[in-house]
Amino acid sequence: MTSRLKRGLLLLGVAVVLTPGTISAGSYKWVDEKGNVTYSDRPPQSAQSPATAPVVAVPLDLKNLDARPVPPLQEQDVKKYLPPAVIPRSGPTRIDDLLELSGVRAQLVGLARGLAKELRPAPGIMSAKDQASIDRVLSKSLRHETVYGLLREAFIPQVDRTNLEATAAWLRSPLGRRITMLEVSTSDPSFEQKVADYAAELKANRPSDRRVELIWRLDWVMGSSESAADLYVTLSRGVTKAVSAAGPPERRLRPGQIEEQVAEIRARVRGPLSAMHHSATLYAYRDLTDDELTAYVVFSSSDAGRWYNLAMHKAMASAVGRTVEQTAAELVRAVPVERWARVAQPAAQAVR
Amino acid sequence: MMTNALKALAPVLALTLCSALAAIAQESPTAPPLSDAERAVAAFKAGRYTEALATARRAADASPTAVRALTTRAAIAEFMGEFDEARTFYDRAAALTPDDTGLIYRMASHAVRVGEYDRALAHLDRLLALHPRQVRWLFQYAPTRFQAKLLREHPSLEHIVQIKIDILTEKGDLAQARRMAQGYAIVQPGQDYCGQARSVMAGRNREDVFKAFRLATLGQPDAADCIWWYGQWLSDEGYVRLGRLMVIEGARVTGSATNKESGARYVRIRLGGNRDVPKRAEQLFLIARQRYLRDDDIEGATRLFDECIRLAPGFARPYNYRALMAADQGDREAALAWYRKGLKADADSWRTHRNLGKLLSEMERYPEAEMHLRKTVELFGDDAGGHLALARVLYAEGKYDEFLKEATAAVTFLNAKTQIVDVREFLSKFDRWGPGAALPPAPDPNVIIGWNYD
Repeated sequence: MTSRLKRGLLLLGVAVVLTPGTISAGSYKWVDEKGNVTYSDRPPQSAQSPATAPVVAVPLDLKNLDARPVPPLQEQDVKKYLPPAVIPRSGPTRIDDLLELSGVRAQLVGLARGLAKELRPAPGIMSAKDQASIDRVLSKSLRHETVYGLLREAFIPQVDRTNLEATAAWLRSPLGRRITMLEVSTSDPSFEQKVADYAAELKANRPSDRRVELIWRLDWVMGSSESAADLYVTLSRGVTKAVSAAGPPERRLRPGQIEEQVAEIRARVRGPLSAMHHSATLYAYRDLTDDELTAYVVFSSSDAGRWYNLAMHKAMASAVGRTVEQTAAELVRAVPVERWARVAQPAAQAVR
Repeated sequence: MMTNALKALAPVLALTLCSALAAIAQESPTAPPLSDAERAVAAFKAGRYTEALATARRAADASPTAVRALTTRAAIAEFMGEFDEARTFYDRAAALTPDDTGLIYRMASHAVRVGEYDRALAHLDRLLALHPRQVRWLFQYAPTRFQAKLLREHPSLEHIVQIKIDILTEKGDLAQARRMAQGYAIVQPGQDYCGQARSVMAGRNREDVFKAFRLATLGQPDAADCIWWYGQWLSDEGYVRLGRLMVIEGARVTGSATNKESGARYVRIRLGGNRDVPKRAEQLFLIARQRYLRDDDIEGATRLFDECIRLAPGFARPYNYRALMAADQGDREAALAWYRKGLKADADSWRTHRNLGKLLSEMERYPEAEMHLRKTVELFGDDAGGHLALARVLYAEGKYDEFLKEATAAVTFLNAKTQIVDVREFLSKFDRWGPGAALPPAPDPNVIIGWNYD
């Protein structure tokens, strides 16, 4: 799956902020070289915009699966993959140790870099002075250390010592470490293209029903797709609030209006985000056996796994939301909104 | 996989920023008119009501003997719920042009709006007195068959009749209102006004719906369902006084004991029971709501809501809006305090329990949320959105059996009315895999007229 396709899917939701009810689910919007805006149920195809891989949803038809979960987790021989009950370690695990073990710190580096790249206008659109101001804001506000600091701050109040130690034990186990490394590798810039290539093959080589169910179930117990949708809402809310506050009073959105709009967007993007997530997960964990994946599901279903996922989701939403809102506010302070209008109406650059 | 999902979201930042910037960077196209009064009218027509009122005030202050400036200020002030100011400037204009029929009509209408019916009737008498003697005689004594033509030829007479009908209706004398409507041929025997009104519903134009069901109420006194429906529709629109009258009338006319009981319950949990809501308070509430939702005029809305609460301390709706405003500003504790004040004013307010429960749920204060949402569905068992909100709270508390019961009840109810794919999908996964990490969706579909808005 390519970032272009992701943009298209995401734009679907963003566009409805300003044009509610005009775009149906599954639409794409792009602006051609002449500035014409086009809506279609297919992504744009052009020399500059090579054909993108279709969103390959890996559907799970619950009705057609066996009546029982296959196989029931409690009957699985996954103990060999789970961490030992007694943890050979002296002293309590520190928060920073846990976050380090989880790989989240490493992943935030790529995230901050990606956000900055997306926010930087294409060369030639802004004046050199404005461009320099924007770069200054981005380099100052979108530092991964800053996001990490906020995430840590939001994580601390949720700490439950028992669950923290159990989670740390899982993350220190051989399988936990291996999974963490696989997850960190998703921050590699080439990951998106690899997923796209993999997704293109899925139609011909569909994974087994068991594999698909494990992936869906992992998403269910971790809440990853729902968290992605929540984060999407957080990003939209943060940017809209910051920009709205900088605009003229008659165009400002009331907080309640922003909430209504983001709720609508969330409903629209949930499906596409879920499909993207399932493809990416299938690819990322492709080298894990079903038993290993089952062990991950078992841990994620445990009290510790539930606590960890919930705490991390909340902390991530808080940290990213605050960072984005602050960055957007600083951007419109540094460069007045009128001058951003040129970025908002790109002529030569396709909006996918 | 946490940041993998996040990476996929990165472009939304740029796109949202661009979209939001494009929306606010548009230039305002208006060219300033010459005088303040003209600018006030232009701003009003453009929907910039706060600006319109400020400009109209300047115009009237600058030209205290210009009737147009005075009436413009009065009309805009009335529209914005500044009723005393409106009356002052109507009176000043009337002192300058005592025989201006348009102005007298506005003054009568203003008096009705604030519930000063005797003053309204005095204005109507004055308006009638300005008509020629022969017209007045025909209006007062001619048989019904002549009245339709007379009212067509003299629209101001029809205005008088319509306002008098409204006054009679609002005072609860529906029988006299109906006699008057028949006497002036506003309604004709044998017409299916109710059927016409139902067909108007498809267009969803509020003004048309209002007029059509008003006629049905006047012309078909036995149409219990129609009258009842009108009352519930009015309740959603915020006309709680008239809504209460209509629901009570519908319940009186119906032959069904169950419906009578249902009507009584509706009045109790949705319209404040017997608590007095003066007309002025009701109108202040309606306008305050608009000033907040439409104009984002927090100061003006706050002042009007507070005035409304002072006039009608037992009226739950303004408390709910004060809570909403506080929550919108990010002050959830203040929002909770307003909801609690609302419940102190009216402990049976279904909407207040519901709003409070949902806010507590958002704040993850689940046991308290459960208490208020249980009360919500106890008050109104068909509240599918309430059942789903309660189900979400129960799930968060780990009460999975009760969650399943509530969610299934809501799905069963909603299946026939609306698509709730997300909830059904969630229940299927829950059935197969047990509890997941994410809380269940709790959509709130508006499916029953009369229970949708405040």
